[in-house]
Amino acid sequence: MSLPDFQVLRPRTNAEAVELLARHAGDIRIIAGGTDLVPSMRQKLFTPKFVLDIRAIAELNGIRESAAGLSIGAMTTLAAIERHPAIRKNYSVLREATITVASPVIRNMATLGGNICLDTRCLWYNQSLAWRKSCGFCIKKDGNLCHVAPGGTKCWAAFSADTPPALLCLGAQLEILSPQGVRIVPLQDLYSGAGEAPLKLASTDLLAAIHLPAASSGLHGAYKKLRIRGSIDYPLAGVAVTFRNGAGNPTANSIMKDVRVAITAVNPAPLLVREAAKQLEGKPFGEATAELAGELAGELAAKSARPLTTSALTPEYRKEMVRVLAKRALLSLA
Amino acid sequence: MSKILIMLNVNGRSHEIACEPNTLLLDCLRQDLGLTGSKRACDDSSCGACTVQIDGVPMLSCALLAVSCQGQRITTIEGVAEHGSLSALQKAYSDWGGSQCGYCTPGFMMTVNALLSETPDPTDEQIGAALSSNLCRCTGYVQMIQAIKAAIRAEQQGRAAKRA
Repeated sequence: MSLPDFQVLRPRTNAEAVELLARHAGDIRIIAGGTDLVPSMRQKLFTPKFVLDIRAIAELNGIRESAAGLSIGAMTTLAAIERHPAIRKNYSVLREATITVASPVIRNMATLGGNICLDTRCLWYNQSLAWRKSCGFCIKKDGNLCHVAPGGTKCWAAFSADTPPALLCLGAQLEILSPQGVRIVPLQDLYSGAGEAPLKLASTDLLAAIHLPAASSGLHGAYKKLRIRGSIDYPLAGVAVTFRNGAGNPTANSIMKDVRVAITAVNPAPLLVREAAKQLEGKPFGEATAELAGELAGELAAKSARPLTTSALTPEYRKEMVRVLAKRALLSLA
Repeated sequence: MSKILIMLNVNGRSHEIACEPNTLLLDCLRQDLGLTGSKRACDDSSCGACTVQIDGVPMLSCALLAVSCQGQRITTIEGVAEHGSLSALQKAYSDWGGSQCGYCTPGFMMTVNALLSETPDPTDEQIGAALSSNLCRCTGYVQMIQAIKAAIRAEQQGRAAKRA
């Protein structure tokens, strides 16, 4: 399959990129690593007149440490993130989520900004134009019916990126540029929860950087993912867990503080499971008590998961695996 | 769609190419430059048969726009032979049955070549992790791992990899 016709614009600076986005608003798509957009354009899911290639903008790339925390340029590749010593040491949950994304070669291309802005996925959507034409268009593209949801009036395509649950746990903030200037947005406010339009971003917005606050540095964290193959696949369910304790490594009598649990790939948006954070806060955590904490986290995480038949494996299994993965994530930290 | 003129550096040579702006690097290599070693297979950017190196880093040429690769060093399977003869890795793949139908082999070569440049003596785990980027439906990967280890030994001993 070939790509639809478009012009490629290659700005060198953020200012130039914002200007081009404003000039062609509504008829332009940003391409970063290309691993999500290019296959989608081949399937004619996007047919923009202009493609804004931001690979040549140096100021969008790189990881900077400061007293406020860590600032990651949106164009930083996932491979660079998994190798960065400060991320390995202080934000380990992000590294753990990053190394599960697709395959090593795809992580050489894919960017953190791209992973955060990943389009939602569904068996009825991520198909060629010929397939969609013969099997029926859906709400997300060209049609007005959802084939997987009861009633069929709302799009339930699943948000299927691995790094956002880890970033939600870390309290990540986004730096977004637009003709109106710079704004800082908490990551959870980026997601609309609607499958057909998952991101609250205007077509004139450019995601420039992701900030990890210093307050989240050194959290214990783990990410567990369900997929069919051990490599390449998108998640079919994913759970990230982070917390802090006063005594360094988790010990028999440590107390869980600043607990966060986040899930992905089972809803149209990645979600913080606030009830799990609330109920686990202050609970003891160690070899003897991790099992109990894991059960509780799993039960509450699974309650927030609403998977439908948008991907391989049954929704029941994926929901059950959210429970299992949350428990496994906590047990791996005991 | 009107064509644009781009400059690509492929296997150490500069090429001036007139192509449409929506041309994938893979199609540019295969159709405009006649370098058909890189293969198109899955068409959804997952299988790795189209893997090339951009500035020494393996990437999927089916997910890159040709116009985006200007100013970078592109290396394809046609560029890995050493002084006109097969590299140790290529010889070992042939000797150990690392290649059967051969369709995925150029992609694997580019992935493994990058692994060995960065990590000349990889652990089994590192080899496995690198191979997880590419799909092969014939070999079951075992022969490839044997071939890669044989190539490493051969490089260390300064001779061609021979099957014992």
